[in-house]
Amino acid sequence: MTLIAGIGFTSPWLLLGLLVLPLLWLLLRAIPPAPKRQPFPAVTLLLGLRDDESLSDRTPWWLLLLRMLAVAAAIIGLSGPVLNPAQDYGGRGPLLIVLDSSWAGAPRWDQNRTQIEAELSEAGRAGRPVALLRLTAPEPLQFLSAPQWTRQLAGMPPHPWTPGPAQLAQAQTMIAATEGGFDTLWLSDGLAMEGRADLVAALSDHGEIEVYESATPTLGLLPATYDDGAIVLRAQRSTSGLPQDITVQAVGPDPAGVERALAAATLAFDANSTHAEGRLTLPMELRARISRFEILNSRSAGAVSLTDDRLRRREVALISAQSSNEGLALLSPLHYLRQALIPSTELLEGALTDLLPANPDVVILADVARLAPDQEAALVDWVEQGGLLLRFAGPRLAASDTARDTEEPLMPVRLRIGGRSIGGAMSWGEPKSLAPFAEGTPFYGLEIPDEVTIGSQVMAQPDPELANRVVAELNDGTPLVTRKALGQGQVILFHVTANAEWSTLPLSGLFVEMLERLAISSVAKPPEAEDLDGTTWQATAVLDGFGRLVDADSLAGVAGPELIAGAAGPELQPGLYTSGKRAYARNVLRDGDELLPARWPASVPVQLYEAAKERPLAGALIGLALLLMAVDVVAALLVSGLWSPARVAGLALACALGLILGVAPQSGQAQSTRTATDLTANLTLAFVKTGQADADRIAEEGLRGLGNVLSLRTSVEPAAPYGVDLETDELSFFPFLYWPVTDAQPMPSSDAYARLNDYLRTGGMILFDTRDADLAQAGATSSAARRLQQLALPLDIPPLEPMPADHVLTRAFYLLQDFPGRFPRGQIWVEAAPPDAEQVEGLPFRNLNDGVTPVVIGGNDWAAAWAVDADNVPLYPVGRGFSGERQRELARRFGVNLLMHVLTGNYKSDQVHVPALLDRLGQ
Amino acid sequence: MSLAATSRSLAARGPAGQLRSRAEEAASVLPPLLVQAQQLAGAVLLGDHGRRRSGVGDDFWQYRPVQQGDSRRMIDHRRSARGDQQFVREREWHIAQTVHLWVDQGQSMRFASDPGLPQKIERARLLALAAAVLMVRGGERVGLTGGVLPPRRGNAQILRIAEHFTTDETAAYAPPEHRGLIPHARALFISDFLGPFEELEIALTKAADRGLRGVLLQVLDPSEELFPFAGRTRFESMTADVRHETLKASALRDRYLDRLAERRDALNALCRAAGWTLGLHHCGDSAQSGLLWLYHALERRP
Repeated sequence: MTLIAGIGFTSPWLLLGLLVLPLLWLLLRAIPPAPKRQPFPAVTLLLGLRDDESLSDRTPWWLLLLRMLAVAAAIIGLSGPVLNPAQDYGGRGPLLIVLDSSWAGAPRWDQNRTQIEAELSEAGRAGRPVALLRLTAPEPLQFLSAPQWTRQLAGMPPHPWTPGPAQLAQAQTMIAATEGGFDTLWLSDGLAMEGRADLVAALSDHGEIEVYESATPTLGLLPATYDDGAIVLRAQRSTSGLPQDITVQAVGPDPAGVERALAAATLAFDANSTHAEGRLTLPMELRARISRFEILNSRSAGAVSLTDDRLRRREVALISAQSSNEGLALLSPLHYLRQALIPSTELLEGALTDLLPANPDVVILADVARLAPDQEAALVDWVEQGGLLLRFAGPRLAASDTARDTEEPLMPVRLRIGGRSIGGAMSWGEPKSLAPFAEGTPFYGLEIPDEVTIGSQVMAQPDPELANRVVAELNDGTPLVTRKALGQGQVILFHVTANAEWSTLPLSGLFVEMLERLAISSVAKPPEAEDLDGTTWQATAVLDGFGRLVDADSLAGVAGPELIAGAAGPELQPGLYTSGKRAYARNVLRDGDELLPARWPASVPVQLYEAAKERPLAGALIGLALLLMAVDVVAALLVSGLWSPARVAGLALACALGLILGVAPQSGQAQSTRTATDLTANLTLAFVKTGQADADRIAEEGLRGLGNVLSLRTSVEPAAPYGVDLETDELSFFPFLYWPVTDAQPMPSSDAYARLNDYLRTGGMILFDTRDADLAQAGATSSAARRLQQLALPLDIPPLEPMPADHVLTRAFYLLQDFPGRFPRGQIWVEAAPPDAEQVEGLPFRNLNDGVTPVVIGGNDWAAAWAVDADNVPLYPVGRGFSGERQRELARRFGVNLLMHVLTGNYKSDQVHVPALLDRLGQ
Repeated sequence: MSLAATSRSLAARGPAGQLRSRAEEAASVLPPLLVQAQQLAGAVLLGDHGRRRSGVGDDFWQYRPVQQGDSRRMIDHRRSARGDQQFVREREWHIAQTVHLWVDQGQSMRFASDPGLPQKIERARLLALAAAVLMVRGGERVGLTGGVLPPRRGNAQILRIAEHFTTDETAAYAPPEHRGLIPHARALFISDFLGPFEELEIALTKAADRGLRGVLLQVLDPSEELFPFAGRTRFESMTADVRHETLKASALRDRYLDRLAERRDALNALCRAAGWTLGLHHCGDSAQSGLLWLYHALERRP
């Protein structure tokens, strides 16, 4: 590759073509563009006229320049210019490519892969055998031909852990086992690892080392914690230097079960800080649904933090038989439970019938002996669905006959009458203490403080099942906690009270720990390694290097302490682990982990990916040449008059207008929007925007005209009419909507329909106008009527009938027989009268329905008859001559009647009671 | 559908479709032309056409006593019943002029330099038809030259003329039609007179030989009067069979205007020799002014 002015050329000889340019200049200059064609009948008079000046027409200089530039760009483009051409290092012999292959490289994996492929093809061209070593999963070095590795590369994604000491030691032995010299190319992920220097030393024994490393910092997300009602998110980066904002998304299933971002928080790194912290306050329900947090646009396992049930606060329903008594808070059976559970759970208190529908995770019955049969059945159902029922004994339970003879479903064991009291004033013996928790019980490993003593308890009936159901016992062997499975749930009984009356257990920390172990309260702080002693955890899903959850098929179980304290590796992959009913999320980064930048010995050259990027310019230059040629075509057409400037200008104007119109509607809307205050300050007549400009205009002019008529003749003085967009505007401001139906009307969305139905239900009125009464009866055949049927189908419209002669609209203000608009006598449909409407003796009308008809449907084009311009002059012709003016007047009267009906209801109908009133007055 | 689109789609329709679409095309042209012409003619007040002597006519002239040779049928009984003498009611003699119209329907007339301007042929037809309306209203007989439409009176003749005006000729420069002229009638020739001068000369000489007097109206587009062209240009006639290419159109302007003036001088000389009147109308001017000029030119006694 030849270098000219920092730009490399793959085929520099083509540049000689530039020498042809001056020749081309002369040639092009001599060939003028084609003449303009001009039709001209008087050409007969021109025949025989000669041009006196013998000047030959020349191509304009700017057109020449354009063409020269195009040709030059094409020539230079074809000669293959490359910006920042890669330098050849000219290595010989075998090549070892070392990959960190950890999660930190996952965001740049595509880039890395391109780099590796480039190196492989380079090595392939040079015939060098290549071996690939992944430090996260070292395998013995195999020197193969480069294309073989290229094929395998797709199956080597980054791992979700960083190379630990074990893997590095393994790699070391494999390098040591390899004979002969080789050069090394190390693609580093940029994170520090212990033992790197040793590895470098081992590699440099064999040959040259070259390192590629990215300059962008690696981002990591620490496990989220819950503190003071907010989720605390902490992120780290490997290098500081620039301020940086990252967005952390909380991802989880939405109510439909689809995984999506539920919330997002922005974390800001200060310029010199590698730590950032943010808080996210979410409602309980939303918080419970979060399955993981991830840094937006950072595709790696370290940028994902899985959540377990630590974030999820369980709902616990507390129920006691006693009515609350303020004076005796410390004696309340619920007091200690409340104290123990408040920090880590959501407490629900109240009656069981109210709480059970809320489907709590745990129901605690403190000294409740009997439940109503239906409540008991509901509770059994709930437990069988997977609920946890925790019961505490107490004086009531001891005194009742619950579970005496037969085992009850909601009681783990049968109880003996009365219980027992030990170590009290009236009994012999000392208060008992607890026996150590047996292995296999949920409490195994908990330390028993000395001060816990049991003074009283309820006793279990000896039973073959009893031994299996005891979870904890006193040191005399009597059960303290018993448990039995019921359906998918379980029932647990503490044989002591939940207050300090019978034992000191509720006073001790052991009580809280026992509740935690029973998964009643979820722990707010992460468990320590010792807490999980003796447990085995099974992975349900693990992260891959890119931070995606994949099924954990056939991974071996992990011991509890190892899960927390151990470093991630092939045996302990980050992911979700479960043990029994508990879940634990093992994340890539743990509290206290630090992301540190890699340090290399001074002898090793480190290159940045960014600096070494070749940029071929050929495409851009040839594109420029094509663009210039396209401009040249237009220019040549212009010069020769085949394309008139007027037409070009028109076209450009149209384009510009299109652009402006594409952008403008928003600003236009913003201008025309009137605030809610404006709209509600006065009565505002409104029409529905149809999407057809002339229909909207006529509707607006019509409502303005009607408003003028109303102001003049009645005490209704409406403001300027308003065009309602069904999708965005609030409808409840308008008592009356005029809806001209056009074919172009788009179907409103379901949201809009919901609001329209609300509007109709709450007393709004819509006047549908198909505006085609000259052609068709409303609701019959015309296209507008069909559209109206489609539009009105989802609307909540009552049964309709043609307007009866005694409808209140005929006398709401004026006495009217027909209701013309621009067309005289189309049929009008209104809400049907109730079937039991009866003719009143002595009056011409029936006792009709109360309320206002929610819709009036017709096709008389009322707006056109009402429409006036700014000077209150009618805009559209109605009928002919005087009869036409009469028709317009009747149309206005119909408008007045309609508005009166909308605003005053049907009090005119109340005249049906006049005879009765007169009768009464007479007496 | 525009006319061009109509004619383009003609081939696809078959004979019946063609006839129908032609009829529509014709009908689409006729009413506006007629209406425009009527409107234009309505703006001109008609003078009195009476001949101030008794003769055949509609208007009352005088009562005269019955003379020998009068048919009894001619006696006006209403007047005669007033006395013993018998009277005959005489009417004013109305004489009808015969006017021949010729409008250049050639392709050269189908030109407008600006989309906002009417084509020359449209203006020419409009003026001719409006003049015909005026003359028919005045009781004259109007017809087209060339025997296509012999002179007749009555409104139906206007419709016939308008119908003939819907057809174009294919010739680039149509020669003036001088056949079928009635001696001692009047004539109105409207054209741009940019075609061969000899043919016009022959036509006018023949007409003058028959004792016809009349009016030549030259209708020109403003661009033909101003020659606003520049740069390398190829001028073509409307049928593109006559061409002239120049490298610098602006240099031709003066010489073109000279030639145009020459042509007008020649026309003037010819008109003077034949006893005709020459008029000039530009498409950029209002049709009203053209019609007024025509009206006065035609009214002038020969």
